[in-house]
Amino acid sequence: MDREKVHAYAIIYSSPFLSIVVILLSISLGTMNISFNEIYNAFFHYDADNVEQIIIRTARFPRAVGTLLIGGLLAMSGALMQGMTRNYLASPSIMGVSDGAAFMITLAFVFFPSISSLQMVAVSFLGSALGVFLVLGLASIVKNGFSPLRLAIIGTVFGSFLSSLSSALASYFQVSQNMSFWYNARLHQLNNELVLLCFPLAIVGIILAISLSKSITILSLGKEIATSLGQKTLIIQLLTMVAVVIMTGISVSLAGKIGFVGLIIPHITRMIVGVDYKKIIPCSGILGALFLVICDTFSRFINYPFESPIGIVTAFIGVPFFLYLIKTKGGGNKQRG
Amino acid sequence: MDKEKKRTYLSLYIWSGLIILVIFISLSKGEYILSFQELVRSIFRYHPNSDTDLVVFEFRLPRIILAILVGFGLGIAGSIMQSITKNGLADPGILGINSGAGAAIVAYMFFFQGLLNINKNSLWIILTTPLIGLLGGFIAAFIIFLLAKEKERLDSQKLILTGIAINSGFGSLSMYMSLKMKAQDFEMATVWLNGSIYNANWLFILSILPWFILIIPLIIRKAYSLDLFQLQEPVMIGLGVKVEKEKWLLLLCAVGLIGACVSVSGSIGFIGLMAPHMARLLVGLKHRNSLIVCGLIGSFFMLIADFIGRTIVAPAEISAGIILSILGAPYFVYLLVKARV
Repeated sequence: MDREKVHAYAIIYSSPFLSIVVILLSISLGTMNISFNEIYNAFFHYDADNVEQIIIRTARFPRAVGTLLIGGLLAMSGALMQGMTRNYLASPSIMGVSDGAAFMITLAFVFFPSISSLQMVAVSFLGSALGVFLVLGLASIVKNGFSPLRLAIIGTVFGSFLSSLSSALASYFQVSQNMSFWYNARLHQLNNELVLLCFPLAIVGIILAISLSKSITILSLGKEIATSLGQKTLIIQLLTMVAVVIMTGISVSLAGKIGFVGLIIPHITRMIVGVDYKKIIPCSGILGALFLVICDTFSRFINYPFESPIGIVTAFIGVPFFLYLIKTKGGGNKQRG
Repeated sequence: MDKEKKRTYLSLYIWSGLIILVIFISLSKGEYILSFQELVRSIFRYHPNSDTDLVVFEFRLPRIILAILVGFGLGIAGSIMQSITKNGLADPGILGINSGAGAAIVAYMFFFQGLLNINKNSLWIILTTPLIGLLGGFIAAFIIFLLAKEKERLDSQKLILTGIAINSGFGSLSMYMSLKMKAQDFEMATVWLNGSIYNANWLFILSILPWFILIIPLIIRKAYSLDLFQLQEPVMIGLGVKVEKEKWLLLLCAVGLIGACVSVSGSIGFIGLMAPHMARLLVGLKHRNSLIVCGLIGSFFMLIADFIGRTIVAPAEISAGIILSILGAPYFVYLLVKARV
């Protein structure tokens, strides 16, 4: 068994254990530290009068699990996008997908103020689809549009266009406050019921992503090679986009816009487990989940006792990594290593 | 007179005319509507009345003049950035120079006004803020150029990608600092970061004017070297241009203008991208002709954006920066599709 395979198995088999560790840390650390003993009691000897146990059950535990889910989904969408477009910068936040979702949510707030949470998730899907459609659509019209540089620019410009439009609409119809509530990353306000509702959908997305992983590996060799190997590239690309839309849509509707997870985690995973997407997709899901929970825990301490938006933490880690990627890979259409 | 000269003068007249038109519209329209007569009386001091004077001289005029200056500065800075990077997409906003200046100014607000409790409208603070903006913008530019350098040559693709990264990095830094501010400072910082000149006053104009008087004549004198930047670097060296020295000098000028503009208006994007392209389209590639036209186009867009932002949801306001990015993004897409860049 080669080394990369060992790494992949190590990540997959240790994931339940590591998840439990980070969840426990995330539950116990914060403005109020909670002892492990109390966590144990909250699950096995629940006492409805104990404040700490109530906090654990209603706030900290759902938050930790939701964050785990969101991190995994974002990292997997990033891996799918990078494989499909063969572009090392492709990721949900850089390519305007999250901005599309936030834009549609703003529209929903303006025109259907009484919308239910579940409908909001559907709207968020629509918006992610809109973002993907706009950015990839323009990229396919523009000459050389799928090069890292062009795609990053198109994504950035569409992102700032959609978010400006959202904030202009929001101030025009005076829903700014609701809007910023959706738009900014807000893991501390994860809605428990919504997390539960999203779970089945998330599982659909994850299964789709993993079942596509073999085809993505072939697609990542280049369209010509994939076609000559007998792959129906168009169908695979469409299905990949569906998976990306489902997974990004869920995470934006749950927690707003969180950058950089979908960009850096697939790269780190690729360094550890090699270039086969059969390993990259599940492993980046796991690493993304763990990474986001750790970032979330960290975000409670950088401006203690207040919480900071998690986007700040992911940006402080993500920006240097982003710069490193640019430095080593440049802006041209080079194949990834 | 050759054709390009003629077109330059024509463009100068047309854009100046348009700007004067917009000035009149935005002086008279708003929450408090002034008639043409009242306006003329107030401006030419012929039987003025104090209400009109208040609206015109205390609220609207400073804002309009500030919009003109900021648009002018950003347009010219964009033109310089596009020339020295040889890249038509090099907008100070996309490159992250705006957000570098912004982060430095937020830090300044945070440490000096927040912690030392100095009155934020004191003359000293207002006059020194552009300097801090210059420093921040220069740090951002320096990082970008350092990272984008490959074998002594500036890789223009890396330049833009690095800019995007630096942009989000400084953006989060500003956000982090602004979150630690006091509530009312935070409010001010966020409005300002979105790119707005709603709290314009004469003092702001005074604080950025020296920079314009100092830098713009220098840039116009350097117009010829800006033209030479369209050539390959070996050719320039062959022509006897001290490429590195000129590049850094021009960059310093551009960052100086940006620092001054950002210190009063926050981060305003897309003007530095659109104005140079339109100017080039109108009067050709010679910077001696295009620089002033480019500045005027910038002023025009800034005025329009501020006017729309001020009136469309009155009495609330939308930042001029937001209006500009709604107007600018389609133009950007158009540029990309036409692949002029």
